[in-house]
Amino acid sequence: MYPDDAGVLVRSAADGDEAAWTTLVKRFSGLVWSVARAYGLGFADAEEVFQTTWLRLAEHVGRLREPDRVGAWLATTARHEAFKVIRARKYASPTDDLDKLDRGDEVTPETLLLNAEEASADAARARLVWSAFQQLPARCQELLRVLLATPPLPYVDVAAMFGIAVGSIGPTRGRCLNQLRALLAGSVPTGESGGLQGR
Amino acid sequence: MTHDDETERELRRAADLLYPVPDRLLPMAVAAFAWRTIDADLAELVFDSFAESAPVSVRGPDKPRLLTFRTDETIIELELETEGTTLRLVGRMAPAGRAEVEVRHRRGAVTVTADPLGRFAVGGLAPGSLSLRCRPAGAATAVVTDWVTA
Repeated sequence: MYPDDAGVLVRSAADGDEAAWTTLVKRFSGLVWSVARAYGLGFADAEEVFQTTWLRLAEHVGRLREPDRVGAWLATTARHEAFKVIRARKYASPTDDLDKLDRGDEVTPETLLLNAEEASADAARARLVWSAFQQLPARCQELLRVLLATPPLPYVDVAAMFGIAVGSIGPTRGRCLNQLRALLAGSVPTGESGGLQGR
Repeated sequence: MTHDDETERELRRAADLLYPVPDRLLPMAVAAFAWRTIDADLAELVFDSFAESAPVSVRGPDKPRLLTFRTDETIIELELETEGTTLRLVGRMAPAGRAEVEVRHRRGAVTVTADPLGRFAVGGLAPGSLSLRCRPAGAATAVVTDWVTA
């Protein structure tokens, strides 16, 4: 097994070590997917962003200035790609209602889940939480998506991604989560804005 | 554990349950390693009219996407335009000269030849990840571009 050190994995992959690459993929796929899905892209477009991000890393793996920060590199690359795809596909506006932007003819994991006979109480709660999440302002959704990633990105990297001060991440996260709780408790009317306004 | 951490944990559970990384994506990311080229120079993306940082004057829903890649010696400029459900790519390589240009994308690869002025064009490309591998006539090493989502 590899040590818990992304920099070592990056350097090994740069030397042609496929196992190190696969370990990188397993460790950071959740992060890349989370960022790719954070901007209201449909499922198919998010997949393309995911794929381009990994192809890009394959070419850059031996050239990263800071191999230890490969997570931040991946997240930033995915974010830039997502923005460009929004332009290329002429999405009306980034993130308002994630599912509205999903292509209608596709079977999403959510529908699969809904169809599953064993859709449990856990799943019902998850759908409730997710539907509240989707009522958050776009910037809250984007920030929380990135913060949800496992392993977590350091705040300094998150700040760089969003172009906001490191010191404002914590308070903004707090406001967004607070609003989410309020939505879950049913005390905030749908569509009320707040949280991350402007930069 | 604070209130916030609890809420975040619940949100993470919901995301993992409803929107996990699709199973088929992991093999795609693993396979990306095989596309790695070690015998070519990497032309990095230095300009993209669809990037956040690009001047507003060059981007717009009806304008083609402009991309510039470069190595120390080579510049590759591309124009990408949508044609129905496919993409058309027009490119120019400098220094000018005949070259073999391989357009790599998810359905495979298409090879075209750049004319003596370094110009080339390819149509009917599927949208998705795309990269070029250019080998100028008589050159020892090829140049590959950064991948972009076309």
